[in-house]
Amino acid sequence: MAVLSFPWKRGARSPQQETLASVDLDRLSLVTAAIQALPDAILIVQTEGPVGNSPILVVASNGAAQELLRIRSEENRLVSILRHPDILSAVENTLSFGESHTLGYDTGGSQSRAVRVWTRPLSADSRLSALVVLRDETDARRLERMRADFLANASHELRTPLASITGFVETLRGHAKDDPEARAHFLEIMASQARRMSHLIDDLLSLSRIELNEHVPPSGTCDIVALVQEVTDGLLPVLEARGASLELLAPSPGTALAVGERDQISQVVQNLLDNAIKYAPRGAPVSVTITTDAAFEADSAAANAAALRDAGGGRLVLLFPERAHENRYVQIRIADAGIGIARENLPRLTERFYRVPGQKSGDIPGTGLGLAIVKHVVNRHRSGLVVESAPGQGTTFTVLLPSAPRSESPDGVTKPS
Amino acid sequence: MTEHTLKFFGEELEQLKGEVIRMGGLAESQVSQAVRAVAVRDVGLAERVVVEDETLDLLQHDIERSAIRLIALRQPVAQDLRRTVGALKLSLVLERAGDYAKNIAKRALVIAQADPEIPLTRSVQRMGELVAGRLKEALDAYSAGDIQAARSVWNRDEDIDEHYNSLFRELLTYMMGDPHTIGACAHLLFVAKNLERIGDYATSIAEIVPYEVSGDEFLDPRPKWSSVEEPSKANGDYP
Repeated sequence: MAVLSFPWKRGARSPQQETLASVDLDRLSLVTAAIQALPDAILIVQTEGPVGNSPILVVASNGAAQELLRIRSEENRLVSILRHPDILSAVENTLSFGESHTLGYDTGGSQSRAVRVWTRPLSADSRLSALVVLRDETDARRLERMRADFLANASHELRTPLASITGFVETLRGHAKDDPEARAHFLEIMASQARRMSHLIDDLLSLSRIELNEHVPPSGTCDIVALVQEVTDGLLPVLEARGASLELLAPSPGTALAVGERDQISQVVQNLLDNAIKYAPRGAPVSVTITTDAAFEADSAAANAAALRDAGGGRLVLLFPERAHENRYVQIRIADAGIGIARENLPRLTERFYRVPGQKSGDIPGTGLGLAIVKHVVNRHRSGLVVESAPGQGTTFTVLLPSAPRSESPDGVTKPS
Repeated sequence: MTEHTLKFFGEELEQLKGEVIRMGGLAESQVSQAVRAVAVRDVGLAERVVVEDETLDLLQHDIERSAIRLIALRQPVAQDLRRTVGALKLSLVLERAGDYAKNIAKRALVIAQADPEIPLTRSVQRMGELVAGRLKEALDAYSAGDIQAARSVWNRDEDIDEHYNSLFRELLTYMMGDPHTIGACAHLLFVAKNLERIGDYATSIAEIVPYEVSGDEFLDPRPKWSSVEEPSKANGDYP
């Protein structure tokens, strides 16, 4: 369908009308161009006869509409691009009775957008016409929800360490006042609780920031090998402290390029490695493997998946990449030889503050948000996230990031989106 | 009536498909709203879902009638026949999915009045969102005739089942921990089971897409008719 083509009739014209007609044409072109440039999605719909007997057709749409509703050129029935019952009712009502409507809806799916819709009657020729305007209000809605979520989470999770600190303050004022040993001990606990609160706030803010832009796809390119090497270098002191080792199997830097935002992908790798190191037994190696041009395997009937299931675990795809059948990926696999996770706990792993029952997280408990952050970043990148684990057999997380197109050159810093 | 008999067969088929997609939109909406009613304990919303199920049933009957009439009068063959039968199959699947949504809404009514409030409704909501998303993808694939997208939905069946298993165990544990919650938890179990069945239906919808599209019999691509491009074809025949 031509962009904003208006079916208008031309009859025979007098010379005077001809001049007027060309002036009209210029103005029409200008108005048409303006509508095409509008950030809101515009649809003009028409129906030949009474609503219900003849289909409602989309006779014009601007670029924003084609993008929001993924209009393919050969479609023109309204129901093929918008099937929400409330919107269809509103459009029908506008066409039949000339009433204007406003309503909101969620597009649904993994990147659901909140959209506000307006319908307005249009008086044209003998056909019934209406204007449909759609505005993406996801940003505003998200902001609202983020604020509410953040406050709720923060107050809930900070309450416990805060209560602990308050308790110890009381104790130090009271009977521990003159006991230097107890004082030192309690102060140490208070310091660690304060650190915990600080980490929690950092993670909550991090998560909020990520969620705010989750519906906006990233556009830069990153060198995954260089990125992972940087993260692992940063973790050397932690590895040493735990007596753990890390083996990295990767192609040379500059060959594994993926589409994504560097800082966010770094955080994903950092969080997954933190977990691997934390939950792995002392001295056990953590392995990181990077492969290029990998395909996404949805088939969990693969041999190893069955073996994992037999052992009480499983392979679960936590996030499916977009257009998995068409794309190739840069694959990062992070494996530890820790205690593993049972099958029934796999679906909830990326839930905020979820802890696998019975699993000890070591001396320094995490914030509980590590995997939630991973999930939201991977979701934003339209990427895949898979977990394979079985009790006693360790855990492997796989992240599949879309490969950058060949023509892109790697940059250490992501391009501004 | 006269304008209908002169309508191009292709247009009638498009019309049928349009009605099915419209029914799909309503079924999607029913599922999302039923899940929401459970999650936020919205009694009004649950009641509306129950009432609206009648519309789905009516739509299914209409579509069935239209499809059979199409077959009887036009005697379509090959891909046209498959598309007509596909539309009919889809209407049946959507009606069943809608029934499950209605059942979920009915349980929402009970759960909303139950005391105490169970924190596990969050897990049910997540599973519900996953299922609603799967249904949307399947319908998008059908609407676009996109076999690859349909295959993608079809491949992913198992994660919904995994969610269900996990939820099941959690609910059992919860019930064992506090017998006062057994009533509400039992309802949530049924809700979870209904969601799992809706997930299966999404897979069924995905299966219809390649069934319709991949025609072994015709090698040349069929021209696509639309009333906008070729309004003047007077007879109902096609080449």
